[in-house]
Order: sequence, then structure tokens, then C-alpha cells
Amino acid sequence: MLKTVETTAGRNATRRMILLILAWMSVIALGPSAPTTASELVIYSGRKESAIKPAVDLFEQRTGVKVVLKTGKTSGLANEILQERRRPRADIFIATEAGVCEVLARGGVLDPYAPPGARPIPPEYKSSKGFWTGISGRARVILYNKGLVRNEEVPSSVLDLADAKWRGKVAIAGTLERTTLSWLSALVQVMGESKAKAYVDDLVRGSLKILPDNSDVWRGVGSGEFALGLTNSPNYHLALKAGLPVGVVYPDQGQKGMGSLVNPNAVAILKGAKNLPEARRFVDFILSREAQAILVGHAFEIPLVRGMDAGQVRPLSSFKALTISQERLADLEERTIKLFPGF
Amino acid sequence: MLSGIQKSTVERVAWGERLGFRRPMMSPLTPVAALGVAFVVLLTASPLLNLLTAALAGGSRGLSSLLSGSVFTLMSRTLLLATLATLWALLLGVPPAWILTRTDLPGRRLFRVLGVLPLAIPPYIGALTYITLLGPVGLVNKAYHAMGGAGQLVNIYGLWGGVLVLGLFTYPYILLLAGSALESSNPALEEAARAAGHGPMGIFIRVTLPLLRPSLLAGSLLVFLYALSDFAAVSFLRVTTFTTEIYQQLNTRFDLRSASALSSVLVLLTLLVLVAQRKSLGRRSFVQRGSGAKPPTVYPLGRWKAPALLCTYLVLGSSVFLPIALLLYQVGSPGILFQTLASGQRYLWNSLWTGAVAATVASGLALFVAYLIDRRKGRVGLILTAATQLGYAIPGTVLGLSLILLYNTYVPWIYGTAAMVVLGYLLRYLPQAVQGSVAALSQVDPNLEEAARGLGRSSWQALREVTIPLIRPGMAAGWMLVFISSIKEVAATLLLRPAGFDTLPVRIWIATIEVDFAGAAATSLILIATTALPLFLIKRLDAGISQLD
Repeated sequence: MLKTVETTAGRNATRRMILLILAWMSVIALGPSAPTTASELVIYSGRKESAIKPAVDLFEQRTGVKVVLKTGKTSGLANEILQERRRPRADIFIATEAGVCEVLARGGVLDPYAPPGARPIPPEYKSSKGFWTGISGRARVILYNKGLVRNEEVPSSVLDLADAKWRGKVAIAGTLERTTLSWLSALVQVMGESKAKAYVDDLVRGSLKILPDNSDVWRGVGSGEFALGLTNSPNYHLALKAGLPVGVVYPDQGQKGMGSLVNPNAVAILKGAKNLPEARRFVDFILSREAQAILVGHAFEIPLVRGMDAGQVRPLSSFKALTISQERLADLEERTIKLFPGF
Repeated sequence: MLSGIQKSTVERVAWGERLGFRRPMMSPLTPVAALGVAFVVLLTASPLLNLLTAALAGGSRGLSSLLSGSVFTLMSRTLLLATLATLWALLLGVPPAWILTRTDLPGRRLFRVLGVLPLAIPPYIGALTYITLLGPVGLVNKAYHAMGGAGQLVNIYGLWGGVLVLGLFTYPYILLLAGSALESSNPALEEAARAAGHGPMGIFIRVTLPLLRPSLLAGSLLVFLYALSDFAAVSFLRVTTFTTEIYQQLNTRFDLRSASALSSVLVLLTLLVLVAQRKSLGRRSFVQRGSGAKPPTVYPLGRWKAPALLCTYLVLGSSVFLPIALLLYQVGSPGILFQTLASGQRYLWNSLWTGAVAATVASGLALFVAYLIDRRKGRVGLILTAATQLGYAIPGTVLGLSLILLYNTYVPWIYGTAAMVVLGYLLRYLPQAVQGSVAALSQVDPNLEEAARGLGRSSWQALREVTIPLIRPGMAAGWMLVFISSIKEVAATLLLRPAGFDTLPVRIWIATIEVDFAGAAATSLILIATTALPLFLIKRLDAGISQLD
């Protein structure tokens, strides 16, 4: 008697448990439905929101295409795109470093497109197969603290940083910042493996401080934690804007100097993009004068399209750039990581 | 001979009951319960399996990264960090727990509410404020230079900085658990010790401390596991740990295999820690506490009042007042705070509802899981325990990437919605809810339910009318922990949020990248206030996170 009561009661309890689970699953299913519809252009952007948002807003205004923007770190978003490859979610990827686009191109997740607007861009700042296009650039520069480095001491070459007098006073970001990785690969290419290794080892023996990211470098130099830093040109302008006492050197400009590496920011279209025509329109738009002016003005980037007004920053034509293709840099990458552990 | 065996079994059972063991009830699972178990295991174990397959798919390459010597260095450094942070948290948490529950310190009620507040401050924000203070060019070094000192007086970067900050913002776990255990322990034992001639110190060491052991272990476990899995705070403080190395593998080399292999080691470590905790608590039964017991002895402080106050102020000052003051200083003007609040309502709402849904679903699942674990020792319980506890160990970034692959491939209609964010929270923090419910349920005698059934209630009614009211404080505490952990979460959220859906921590992260420190500080203050409010409420309801041990 008691037994039967118990079993029906048990059945009741379990039935309710099922109901609960079903209810929960339906909440998930019916709940906030997918916010993106096929007509919205989905952009994953590693660029700072303040730099890209005004351009995106203008694109929406001009074309009437609705854009959904996901801002993140370039490499985080690239990992996400790789994971999403079986069912791509984004149409456009904007990267702060073209090497990441090269990784994605080799991963087979990009769709080639050679925009007419990219013709005036030098070949090393766009993919030869059309997988990505440079939209602006950042030069590798030496940043120094004016309170700690006298005018006559200011180094003119990255090689000077290994000098004993800067021991413990030089900072650089680790390879988590891909611009550092490209720079190291470029050294390997230009100097040759053994010389590059010897130079970097000298730096490390001289207590080179390897920091998590570039903002640590420019803020550290600006605050006087370090005398010198190797970082990207926009950071000089950011430090100035923050009122910090910094100066900048575009290194290795002499006759035999290797020049300063320029890392392009890049735009790419994803393979399987649901809005291919709109995506192409966006790429065309971002290379237009109007959009370029916004990108250059808001983020102190170097225009890659010849003839664009560079505003406060030094234009590409005003300094000697180290010329190397991103494909070559990508080839060197694995070797570079092995050569320089600890970065 | 047969009878001999039977007799000894009977004896064992009798012994067990006298010691407070419960006889395991091993009726077969009903199909529905089995379905529920399968569902929970599928939900929680699928990212783990995905992790393992990703690690093994690399073949020699993924595994070779594990065999290199650097992994052992990394492991020992990470374990050192977690151990020191736990010891530091114990040091910070236990004395105030005793002072605030057992002495007549003026203002102790307010202090006890304030003491929980550091949980509302995400350790990464704590790290940033302490860098402002103790960094190489922080306020302290600047003052030192102004006074004519040369060089650096302090430098927070490195292992000790990591220990300092992690301990400061996790000690409330220990304060809470030890505090409520102290409050509800039976004073008769201490009185007996006093009668036997022990002084207050002797009583503390010989009686109180052993009674505190389970709650100290549970609190230490939470701190230790947090320190193992933390990424943001340690990377700000420039400490290299397992999680920062995993991040490096993922973001420099896009090497998901090595990252998965390293994460598997972290999962294994967590598993060992959990097993050690279970072993250490042993098969000891829990004592029914709380209702009806005499209030604990309160010691008059006398001339110790000043030192006790100082100790309390030091702990609260460095973990609550100082960070909040520094954040206010960084915000600059109240205008920015209001402006951020006005423009950030959407993010606040996003954080609130995702956190609340995750906490509620976690509590529901935890009740089901806890019920099965508690009433059904043996294999099912073990599988469920492992499946629900290990999520805590997977770094947020890796968990996020796993979930992207799984859900985008197999359940694409969920992917790309905010439900993914909820799912991320759920998988990371379900362990907290399960721990709460298991602990609470283990203090409820199943005979009570049987009695209710004997009186004609159905199992469901018995559960609802007898068990749930008894474990409600424990469940509420679990809900709270999941909620506050969730609304601080950033690593998995960054990956799982649908385009255009940001939460408060995501906005703090974006503001930090934009070098908008005032905005980051203002958003941090809003996040802290949002987290603190329910913490205050729960303390007022006095639901007592006590049940968590």
C-alpha cells in the first residue's frame, strides 16, 4: 500500500523534474532570439571602438546597410573566426595587424577580393592573392622619455638600444603583441638569423623589459618607469595627447639603415559571408577618402593610400620604411618564435 | 560463517548510523532522473571532452608542449602563487572572522556586512588600483621621491604582487565561511575546555580551530581554485602562470592544441585538489546546527579593543576603502559617473539579467545534482560531482572557444544569442551552486522527508515542504555566489557575446584598451555597486552563507 503511494509520488516528482528541464530548454530556445538577421553586416573588429565606430556610422548613413559591430582583441577574434569556420558568423574582419589575416588566409577562412580602391596601395601592404587589404599603417619607432634621455643621447638605430648605458631602461611588448613578432621576424630577414639572434640576446642580457602589451610600453616610458621603448608610431601621439614628456625616433633612416617596419591594419572578407555584396561595399568604403580621413584622424595612423593627407602623423613618403611582404613574415613566424623564447 | 559476515555488516551499519553516516539508498534511477543526469553530464562534460580531443588531436605536437621542462616550472610557479594567495587569504580572513563573531567589538555588525564587499570588486580592478598605488611609478614611489628617496621603494609587479592582490579580493570566502561556522558552533564545547583550565588562546587552538576545519578547507578551496584559474589580475601584475601561458599559445600562435593540452593539465590539477578536499573531510558526518543552539560566547575585548579595531580597519581598508577611494579619484568628477551610468544602462541591464538567469538555472540544476549526489552515493554521484566541478578549472578563454565550436556546429540556433553568455557563466560557476546545495542538503536528515511521506505527502511535496525550506539559505548563498561571479566574468563573455551585446566588465575592458581610465573607473564603480547591493540584501536576510561549508 505504502509502496504504491511512494512510486506514484516518485513518478510525480520526476515528471515535474522533466517539466522543469523542458521549461528551461524552451527558455533558451525561445528566449532572446538571434539579434543578427541576414540583412545586417556583421563586423568583427580588433580596432579600438573610438577609431572604427565613426567610420562604421558613416557607412550606415551613406548606404543604409545596418552594421553590427563586435569589438575585441584582434587575435581573440581571429581565434573565434577559426572556431566558427564551419558556420561563419561574421562578414568582415578588421585586424590591427595584417599577419593575423595571413594566418586566417592560410587557415582557409578568408574570401579573396581585390578592391579597385586598393590600387594606389604599395604591394607590401596588401595580400598578393587579395585575401586582405591594408587600411592604414603603424611604424615601428623608438619612444623616449625627454626627462631621462638627453637630446644628444637619443638613439638613431634600434641597434643602439643594446648599448650598456641603457641597461634595464628599455621596454618592449612581448609577442602577444603581434607587431613585436613581425618586428622580430623582419630583423631575422634583414640581418640574417645569427646576427639578429646576437642582437636580441644582447638586448635581453641588458635586462630588456618585456611587457604584456604596447600600452604598458608607452605609459611606462611616459611615466619614467623606462627611458626608452620600442613600440608603434600612434602610441607616440597617444602619449603626447595624455600630456606625457615623450619624444619619438623613426630609427635606422641612414643610407645603409634598414628602415622602420610599417605594420598595416587590414580588412578582410570572410569565406561564407552571408552578405557578400554589402561586405565588398564596406571594403570599398573603408578605402574611400572620406573613411580614410576618419581612420587617420582618429587614431594617428599612417595612410597607405598614396596622396592621402596624413594630418599630424608622418606620411609614408617622409621616412624610409623596411620593405618586407606579410607572406614572408608569416613564413618566418614559427622560426622566430623558436629563436626568441621569453618574448 | 555466513551469519558472521551478516553480523559484521549489521554492526557496521549500526556504527555508521551512530556516527551519523547515512545508509546509501541504491534504488535504480528512474528513466526521467537518468535523462536528467544525461542532460547535466552532456551539458557540463561536453566542453571537457572537446578540450581533451583538441589536445589529443595534436598528436605529438600538442603533447610535446607538455613534456618540455618549462611546463614544470610553470606548474610549480602557478601552484606557489595559489598556495601563497590562499595562506594570505587565511591570514586576512580568520582573525576578523573571530573578532567579528566572538568579541564585543563596537560596530561589528556593520563590519561584517562590509567584510563581504571585496567579493564585489573583481580582482582585475583590484590589481589596477594597486598598480596605481604600488607600481614603479605609483603614488607611493612618487611620495617617496618627493621626500628625497632614490630608486624604487616598492614594485608590485611579480609573484608577490599577485599574491597580495589575489588574497585581498578573495579572503571574504574564508571570512564568510569561518564566520558563520564560528557563529553556529556549539558553545558547550568551549565552556568545557574553559572548565578544564584552558585560556582563550588554548580554547581557540584546541577546540575552535578543529571545529572550523571543514569551513576553512572549503574557503581555502575556493581561493585556491580561483588563484589557479585567474587570468586578468595576474596578467596585469605581470605574473606568468598557466593561464597567461595558455593565452599566449592561443593569441600569438593560434595554437588551440597546446592551449588545450595545457588546460587539461589545469583540469587535472583541480581534480586532484577536489579529491584531496574530499579525502581530508573524510567520511565525517555534518552536525545539524543553527536552530535551537545557544548563542556563542562573546568575549569582552577590554584593552584589546584598539588592536582588534586596527586589525579590522587594516583588512577592510586595504580591500574595500582604498580601492574604492582610488577608483573615485580616477573618475575625477561625479559628472562622469552619472554620464557613464546614463549611457551604460544597457550594459548594466545586460549584466544583471544574464547573471540572474545563470544564477537561477545554476541553482535549479544544483538542487537536482545535489539531491542525486547526496541521496545516491556511488558511481552516479561521482560522475555528477566530477562533471559539474571541473568547469571551474577551464580558463575562460579556452572554455569560450570550446563552446563556440560545439554550439556553433551542433546547436547553431543557440549560438549567436545572449544565451551563450549565460551558458558560459553557468559552466564556469555551476560548481559554486552545487557545493552550496550539496553542503546544505548533507545537513538535512533524510528521515525528515521519509516522515513527511509517511504522513501522506508525495515525494515532491516532501521535497518542497520539508527539504527545500531547510536548505533554502544554502541555495540562496549558492545563487548569490554564482550571480556575483557571473557579473564579474570577462574572459568567456568577450568570446561568447553576440555582436552588439556588451556587459559591464566588457565595457571596462574596452575602456581600458582605449586608455579611458576615468570611464573604466566609473564603470567599475557601477559594477561594484551592482554587485554589492544584492550582497547587502542577502546579509540582511541573514541567509547565512554558512551552509556552504
